[in-house]
Amino acid sequence: MDETTMMALGALALEAATGAGASGAFAGVGRTRQVDLAVRGEALETVSESTSQSLVLEVWVDGRYATTRTTDLRPDEVARLAREAVALARALQPDPSRAIPDPSLFAGRAELDLELADASIPALSHADREALCRAASAPILGQAGLISTTSACSDGEGLSVQLSSNGFSGSHRRTWLWLSSEVTLQDAAGRPEGWMSAGGPHRSQLPAPAEIGAEALKRARDRLGSRKGPSGRTTLVVEARVAGQILSRLLSPANGANVQQGRSFWAGRLDQPAVSPALVVRDEPLLARMPGSRLFDGEGIRAATLPLIEGGALRNLYLDTTYARRLGMAPTTGSASNRVVQPGSRDLAALVAGVEEGVLVSSWLGGNSDPTSGDFSLGMRGNLIRKGQLGEPVSEMNVTGNLLALFAGLAEVGSDPWPWGSTRCPSLVFEGVDTSGA
Amino acid sequence: MPWSRRQVLAAGGVLVTAPSFLACAPKQAQPQALGSALLPNDPFLSWFGIDPATLRTVMAELTSRGADHADLYFQHTRSTSLRLEDGIIGEASARVEQGVGLRCVVGDQVGYAFTEDLSLPAMLQAARTAAAIATGASRPPPETFASTGPGDRYSLTLPWEEVGIAQRLPLLSRCEELVRSKEAAVSKVSVSWSDSDERVLIADSEGRISLDRRPMSRLWVSLVAEREGVSQSHGSNLAGRHGLEWYDEARLQQVCDEAIARTMVLFEARRPPAGELPVVLAAGASGILLHEAIGHGLEADFNRKGTSIYSDKLNQPIAPDFVTIVDDGTQPGERGALNVDDEGNPTERTVLVQGGVLRSYLHDRISAAHYGVPSTGSGRRESYKHPVLPRMRSTYMENGPHSREEIIASVKHGIIAETFTNGQVQIGAGDYTFYIKNGWLIEDGKVTAPIKDVNIIGNGPESLRRVTMAANDSKLDSGGWTCGKDGQGVPVSQGMPTVLVSAMTVGGTRG
Repeated sequence: MDETTMMALGALALEAATGAGASGAFAGVGRTRQVDLAVRGEALETVSESTSQSLVLEVWVDGRYATTRTTDLRPDEVARLAREAVALARALQPDPSRAIPDPSLFAGRAELDLELADASIPALSHADREALCRAASAPILGQAGLISTTSACSDGEGLSVQLSSNGFSGSHRRTWLWLSSEVTLQDAAGRPEGWMSAGGPHRSQLPAPAEIGAEALKRARDRLGSRKGPSGRTTLVVEARVAGQILSRLLSPANGANVQQGRSFWAGRLDQPAVSPALVVRDEPLLARMPGSRLFDGEGIRAATLPLIEGGALRNLYLDTTYARRLGMAPTTGSASNRVVQPGSRDLAALVAGVEEGVLVSSWLGGNSDPTSGDFSLGMRGNLIRKGQLGEPVSEMNVTGNLLALFAGLAEVGSDPWPWGSTRCPSLVFEGVDTSGA
Repeated sequence: MPWSRRQVLAAGGVLVTAPSFLACAPKQAQPQALGSALLPNDPFLSWFGIDPATLRTVMAELTSRGADHADLYFQHTRSTSLRLEDGIIGEASARVEQGVGLRCVVGDQVGYAFTEDLSLPAMLQAARTAAAIATGASRPPPETFASTGPGDRYSLTLPWEEVGIAQRLPLLSRCEELVRSKEAAVSKVSVSWSDSDERVLIADSEGRISLDRRPMSRLWVSLVAEREGVSQSHGSNLAGRHGLEWYDEARLQQVCDEAIARTMVLFEARRPPAGELPVVLAAGASGILLHEAIGHGLEADFNRKGTSIYSDKLNQPIAPDFVTIVDDGTQPGERGALNVDDEGNPTERTVLVQGGVLRSYLHDRISAAHYGVPSTGSGRRESYKHPVLPRMRSTYMENGPHSREEIIASVKHGIIAETFTNGQVQIGAGDYTFYIKNGWLIEDGKVTAPIKDVNIIGNGPESLRRVTMAANDSKLDSGGWTCGKDGQGVPVSQGMPTVLVSAMTVGGTRG
């Protein structure tokens, strides 16, 4: 299914919806091809190949709203589903906050090549993929204590088109290639694991496969002999590779839905000092070769930099049309693209060297946070830090507190943003954090 | 995409008390030769023309390079969701998902492909893709397909496909009305509804064919309450393979009362002290302990690869002798119930731990062949987009010899865990966590102050050894738990009697 066919299918859905009485409609048609190949040890284990397609249709009918989604793209079925969506909306109550996005938000779309598609990725053969996996596993095979290792390659290409009854039209084409390795080793107490994953929209972004395998092996070895650390109040150095996860917990309630529904600790705190001024975060949709980049969002709103945290305060919410109307604010965008944290000046080694006593967090395990209160409690693993030196590996520990208090205690941001994925977050140093262990 | 071997379980934070365990032996229907005839009420024939000749043609392509086993998994799912916010049911969504997954198995190797286009040329193309894993001589397709017959663990008198949208709306409105009438401190009520009517057809290279219709529904009530400028939020939900009539007034009252009680108690709740404490797990949703501490570790794919901490513990004592743990796909109406698993095998009641001794892993076809044992009917997948993996269904611990009262009275200083939001495990290390949303302190053998937002972390084998008491009040939780593994989510159930674990690491504070 090419772009022209997808546009025609979207137009058919819009026409059927408006013909059935919708005052507005927004259609999206997507097609994705993905290949996953895994090699365990020295044997090919799994090859999975798929092509997926779907149509999503939103309709507005007399102040009412409904959506529908289908993978059955036969034109008759699409038209039938569009009419059904209109009937579905008519069964609901009017909601004055529901409206098709204002077309003024479509205008001024950046004319940039975000370099999100690499023609060499769809051209990969299974032999290419298998070779990447074997190269990743090469540094691991034959190592002492090895129980199992698997390296996996995941790549694909996607094309999506969006169009609306009030004039929006756009398309996105993107590719991706990721390579991962995982390792299980034997030690006296258990079977510690390590993993590493890297990739992006372009094949050239992939590091040497052997580096991925070697890093996974190192991560597993780092866990050998780990035991429970002490309970106490201490300094946490959170490695860049997992720092984005705690940042995501801070920012996930910073959206219109949570704030309007009373489920956000950010409510009433816009532009109020709340966290350390060391933290500066922006949503950056227009960066080349970043997985979250886009020229417009799911509502067709033109993409632009969105300052999130500056000067210790939240500066903007993620706001789609519905919740912006409920809050009486202007829409920004309803979803995150790439979150970029302004780096500091010192690398991880220097950050650790500056800590008298603390814990280096290299992975989280479970836990959760309450978006209303900001209270959180997370499992963690890593290494003790004593007098600026890394000590023994620790596991079975929790860190507990409140997200705003935690980020108010952010002492320093590292210079080492994690280069894989849509969050560019460096290592973070938090002071005065409660940990529990033995 | 980044991935790791961590397995997760998520509920959104709620449990609902459920009836006691229901025992039901799997129906062993006699195979019925189909020849050119078709399964009764087969939508895949009437909607897409999938007849036995088509199945044979596609199967022949799928095994054209040889196969130890091959199967076709057709799925058609219609789902509806609704949402009430600010007193308005202002959002509805309808979804149709259909496709076929094609799998070719050679030893432990799997070739997999799926297509959403159910035309013969598209299916043949997908079959060629999946068959590429094999390198041998072709295997002829079965001459006929024989049905193992439908089960009856969740048939509805009124299937969701026949329920009008107007019949669903009062459920949401009634919940909002109930909450508003019961608690003035509530500032926001949101009610979410979802239901689905899923049909699957599974045909394999051995000539077996199964047709199953799998309903699912869930009602979720979430609240925000305010008191003296402080907000708290929580909720409760009901879920299962149930029809409209199951959501009666008593159950709506129950879910609303639970949502209110769980939210309002948060205003009084505090954090427990940090460190190792005795933990009493309340009956019901505490089955999350089993799911994380042992359930994932007994999924046989991890064991045949040697990556589970339980890989070398079969037939060894791993818990006190009063501990019996079961994974069961036969309980009518439960989220984890199945008439057949996603490989077409009958589901069963699998005893994992009997009297403290590890007795079985959970097997799909591949691991069963690896170990030379029958499948336990545990082969599951999220949808036609995913290959089968060994998965849990409904995991619970049977009654123990103690009472809840004597368990609580035995604790000098500890906590009791009541409601949970999510859990996670690292298979190899055996380290697992679960997150307590509501709980209580136990001081001098008495339940005292409420606690909230506490992560618990432990090591699976160690925690099982530390189960020092188990009560005679085992029950299933009927909340909407979804288990995640290798990027696939499947509905599961879990249960537990009141249990004491003598020491676990509790995420508390020093202040």
